[in-house]
Amino acid sequence: MLDNKDFDEVLDTALSNGGDFGEIFLERKKVTGISCEANRIERISSGLDVGAGVRVISGGNTYYAYTNDLSLEGLRRVAQKVASAGKKLKGEVIYDMRRPEVRGEQYVEMRPDKVQIDNKVDIVWRANNRARSVDQRIKQVAVGYGDVIQKVFIRNSEGLYVEDERVRTRLVVNSVAVDGGVIQTGYEAAGGFCGFELFAEDFPEELAEKAARRAVSMLYAKNAPTGKMPVVVASEAGGTMVHEACGHGLEADLVQKKLSVYAGKRGEKVASELVTVIDDATLRGKYGSLRYDDEGTPGQKTVLIKDGVLQDYMFDYLRAMNEGRASTGNGRRESYQDRPIPRMTNTYISPGKHDPDTIVKETHRGLLVKKMGGGQVNTTNGDFVFEVAEGYLIENGKVGSLVKGATLTGNGPRVLSIIDMVGNDLGYAIGTCGKDGQGVAVSDAQPTIRIPELVVGGVL
Amino acid sequence: MQEVKIQEIVQEAVEIAQKLGASQSEAFCTESRELSVEIRDQEIDTLKISEDTGLGVRILINDRMGFAFTSDLSSRAVKEAIRTAVNNAKKVSPDSNNFLPAPPDGGYKDYQIYDENIEKTPLRQKVEFAQEVERCSRAFDRRVSITESCAYQDASYKVALANSLGIGAFYKGAFCGSYAQVVAQQDGESQSGFGMQFKRNFRGLDPDALGREAAQKAIRMLGAKDISTQRAAVIFDPYIATNFLGIITPALSAESVQKGKSLLGGKLGQEVASPLVNIIDDGTLKEGLLTAPFDGEGVASQKTVLVAGGTLKSYLHNTYTAAKDGVLSTGNGIRNSFKGTPEVGTTNIYIEPGEVSRERLISEVEKGLYITQVMGMHTANPISGDFSVGVSGLWIEKGEFEQPVRGVTIAGNMIDLLRAIDGVANDLTFFVGQGAPTLRVSSMTISG
Repeated sequence: MLDNKDFDEVLDTALSNGGDFGEIFLERKKVTGISCEANRIERISSGLDVGAGVRVISGGNTYYAYTNDLSLEGLRRVAQKVASAGKKLKGEVIYDMRRPEVRGEQYVEMRPDKVQIDNKVDIVWRANNRARSVDQRIKQVAVGYGDVIQKVFIRNSEGLYVEDERVRTRLVVNSVAVDGGVIQTGYEAAGGFCGFELFAEDFPEELAEKAARRAVSMLYAKNAPTGKMPVVVASEAGGTMVHEACGHGLEADLVQKKLSVYAGKRGEKVASELVTVIDDATLRGKYGSLRYDDEGTPGQKTVLIKDGVLQDYMFDYLRAMNEGRASTGNGRRESYQDRPIPRMTNTYISPGKHDPDTIVKETHRGLLVKKMGGGQVNTTNGDFVFEVAEGYLIENGKVGSLVKGATLTGNGPRVLSIIDMVGNDLGYAIGTCGKDGQGVAVSDAQPTIRIPELVVGGVL
Repeated sequence: MQEVKIQEIVQEAVEIAQKLGASQSEAFCTESRELSVEIRDQEIDTLKISEDTGLGVRILINDRMGFAFTSDLSSRAVKEAIRTAVNNAKKVSPDSNNFLPAPPDGGYKDYQIYDENIEKTPLRQKVEFAQEVERCSRAFDRRVSITESCAYQDASYKVALANSLGIGAFYKGAFCGSYAQVVAQQDGESQSGFGMQFKRNFRGLDPDALGREAAQKAIRMLGAKDISTQRAAVIFDPYIATNFLGIITPALSAESVQKGKSLLGGKLGQEVASPLVNIIDDGTLKEGLLTAPFDGEGVASQKTVLVAGGTLKSYLHNTYTAAKDGVLSTGNGIRNSFKGTPEVGTTNIYIEPGEVSRERLISEVEKGLYITQVMGMHTANPISGDFSVGVSGLWIEKGEFEQPVRGVTIAGNMIDLLRAIDGVANDLTFFVGQGAPTLRVSSMTISG
């Protein structure tokens, strides 16, 4: 095994041609995946992924190399590659050992690597069996279980030294309902920055039942209306909208490249005063929580928008360095194969004062979104789109019929500024957020909110 | 690491697995090197160099298949992976269709997918290539003022596969490419445009064409307006048509069909698309980015006609789904990396080009939308075929582009869309492993 002396030697090599910052990120990740479909445990996959990435930042430019070869010789080789690409600049390594204090903690009651594979397989069976028992019309069920134990070691030229272990566990259920020629699906996913205790009590069954019931009810959904109308997004719908409508636009890399509609707007009003947006990595057990980000900066709670006024962006080391400030602990990477970039952790709109039922009652006609699917944003102009997995018409303040095929399109700043009701509830959803080809675990949340006007796209 | 090394590793892994009680076993090992250079304002923003190796083993014990992978190739880690795969196999449900392919009678063909110049070209020249792309995009119009990303990328890879039925095979390949996403600004409005090229040889890349394409796409969107909800003709440019092809490809997988998750299930021999539509999967395509001698389990690559004249002719198979249907594998057991098992997937899949020009398709439209950008494509449902996506593009009035349009959605079902295609242009364009020509649909709902 390599020791700190070896790592410092590798850092020295990486900075031998100069550079402002050098870093080694070493990772050892064990994963387990189980999938069940067609009433069979189809696959059990286990894997070990080890590797290291060496990074040099020189004059704001990034040089990055990685390898699976974790011998001193292998690390020296990638360090040399990085060094030979760098320019002549200052470059020095600080040899002290500084371990920043964490603000969040990880609580793991049952480590997944201490749980027998039979118990994991059992969770999958329980979800499968429950989903299938919900209704005759459920014709197919796919269940996926996954756990990850990721050990990271981070050392940089500023003397930072962090070792961390992250444990994440998740379960997804996708059910297919068929009636005549109509085929519909229902999807549910749950996961946490936690261990196998995620599956306490009837959790797998409840998740499976929800997914199956949605698939069946969607069989008889009417086509969604089209055009502009008021939209109420229920808290249980998750936070895809906040993630797309403003989250990405508040990531400092996009802001600094002027690729965000929120660039240069710190201190300005960018949303309705009912809107406060927070990114908080320190929440206990949430899917996007972390103790340290992937640069060794402690995860923190960052107020992005307060009462409609833009407070701050999400920073990683490089973007913070560009502005001579501290990182907000949002420097994340999918693995040792990737350089860190600013990413969200757990992002949410803070609860407001309205009673969720009142919000629906006070909406004459519109769409109620009970479950959101995926989304996407063009941060350059702020246009975003997200899918409605479960939506209902609102007629005369009452929840009416279920509709399918709705996609909502809007413009982030415009939508945030017209939000006119914010509920006193809060609901979370998990996801894997993709950016620059890197997927990271996140969660998003929001209270029930009303947007007076949004474009609903369906079939005419 | 040497070529012989990964070939030895897979042979040894199979031997160990057989000793540990596997009825059949397979080892798949890759070694790859990648380079990417991102340019911004003519400076290197990010340079990334990687080397990546790993091994995946599949173990069959009494009709049960277990899998494990490792990127640590020390003999201790390899043995541990094999032991884990053996243990996993014991917990998986048995299925008599689980087996591994035998070596093909005729052996494997060589498709010349390795251009040594890709690795040999000096880094400096690759950096200059990306700089040239950016220069060309800026030179196109001075309103192109921000580079979102502008990159050169290449990769070379070696693949070794062995199984206990006697397959012991190896190939190496390489590709290179570039992409640019630039932003044009005018009167406080920003619009982005995108271009990409990926080729099997370095000489095939054209920085000028790429830079101009990205710039032109951004410029022409400036001044985009909303439109009201209506039905009109819709034209998909090749990139968007390829995105839509991506929704239908999972339905062509025999695995989806067998699990009742395909909207094309039970439709072999039936009309599923307009007679103008032919869909092909070709793992042997000359200079195809996903061309290879064999698939992820050692079945020789082939060309498979999936849809001909609108009629569904075949599904895509790996060894497992073929056994289940009593047919032969189509060589579509695809592994995305050593970390995964060979699942039914596509090689080079494309909609065949038609006879008419793109200009002709546009000139025939009285009123319609030429779509150049789509958002939320990943939210389309491949099982039901339903999609509802945000789009932007150019409004066509009396056969000519009139006005850029944004913030609208189109929705429908893939089968209806395929049937409604009334024009296929002759401009087939590939985007890595998928390609399509410009397509026209006579009438669709456009919501604004």
